[in-house]
Amino acid sequence: MTLENWYRQDRLPHIYCAGCGNGTIINCTLRAAESLGLTLENTTFVSGIGCSSRAGGYTAADSLHTTHGRALAFATGVKLVKPKQHVIVFTGDGDCSAIGGNHFIHACRRNIDLTVICINNNIYGMTGGQGSPCTPKGAITTTTPYGMQEQPFDLCSLATAAGANYVARWTAYHVKQLTAAIKTGLETPGLSFIEAYAQCPTAFGAKNKMKQVSQMVELMRDNAVLKPRADEDAARGIPLAPGKFVVGEFVRRNNPPLGCEVKQ
Amino acid sequence: MKLVINELRCKGCNLCLTVCPYKIFTEGKKPGVRGYVMPVLDRPERCTNCRLQKLYQRQLCGMCQTICPDQAISWVEEKPFELKKVEIEY
Repeated sequence: MTLENWYRQDRLPHIYCAGCGNGTIINCTLRAAESLGLTLENTTFVSGIGCSSRAGGYTAADSLHTTHGRALAFATGVKLVKPKQHVIVFTGDGDCSAIGGNHFIHACRRNIDLTVICINNNIYGMTGGQGSPCTPKGAITTTTPYGMQEQPFDLCSLATAAGANYVARWTAYHVKQLTAAIKTGLETPGLSFIEAYAQCPTAFGAKNKMKQVSQMVELMRDNAVLKPRADEDAARGIPLAPGKFVVGEFVRRNNPPLGCEVKQ
Repeated sequence: MKLVINELRCKGCNLCLTVCPYKIFTEGKKPGVRGYVMPVLDRPERCTNCRLQKLYQRQLCGMCQTICPDQAISWVEEKPFELKKVEIEY
C-alpha cells in the first residue's frame, strides 16, 4: 500500500482552484492514515457539503457525501454500526460551525470515536464567498462588503468546552505538524477535533488584498503563535496581538468514548 | 530517484517555491500542456529525497509533495545509465 493508492486516480486532478489549501490537507490526512497502517477497507471518510467536503470523494476508501452540516450525524451512525471502522470526517467551517453547529457540539459531548478534520478557510468558498461564522472581523466578503462586524467563532475552544478528547489547530503551511496531529487524533479514542486553516485565494484572498497564494500562506506562517508561547505570554499578561492566532495541541484527555461500556 | 512534476495535475500555484529548502523550484515562464504556467526545476539532483531516499529507506523532507494541493510532485525511479543503440546508416 503506497500513498498514491489512497487517492482515487480517476477523479484527479481535482476541481479545487489553483493554490487551494484543501488539497494540502487531503495529503496530510492520507499520509497520516498511511503511516498508521490503516487499510482502505477499515477506513471510512464522511463529509458534508462544501469545498472541503469534496475531499472524501478523492479518496479511494469508502466515503459518504452527506447533507449540509450533518456529516457528524452520519458518521455517528457509521461508527455505531461498525465500531472497528476508523471514521474520518471532513467538514468545512460553514458546514461544521454554522449549519452543523449543534451536531458538532453534541458529537463532542458524546465523545464518539471519530476524527473530525475541520478545514477552515474563513469563508463559504463554494457558494460564492459569503461570510461564515469563522470569517475574521473586518474581512471583506460578498455578504459583508464593508467588513465583517461579527466576532469569529473559535472552534477549538468550543470543542474543548464541549468535551472532545483531542483538540488541535494547525494550518495548511504547517504540514508536518498537521500530519502528526491527525495521526495522534486517529490513535486517540474519543472525538479528536483538528482544525486546519486553509487558504482560499479565489473567494477570500482576492477580496482581501491577497491575490497571490504565497501571500496567504506566508500570512499563516507569520501569524501563527505556538501554544506554549501563547500560554507564556498569557501568564505574563500580554494579550494576543490582533490578527494572530494560536496553533498547537489544545487538549488531550482520556475521557471514556461513547459505547466503550458496551464493548467490554 | 528523480523529482518530477506531473504536467496533467499541476495548476501552477507555485506553493512548492515557498517551502523547498533548496529552492529547486523556480517560477516558470511557458504554459504547460494544460495551459498552466508550471514551475521549472533548477538542478533537481540537489534534492535530499532524490539523493538519500534509497540509503535511508524512507522518505526524507518531502515538504513539496505534502504541500502540493494538486498531488503533482513525485519521485520516480531513475534508470541507470543505459547505452543507447545507434543505428548507423551506410
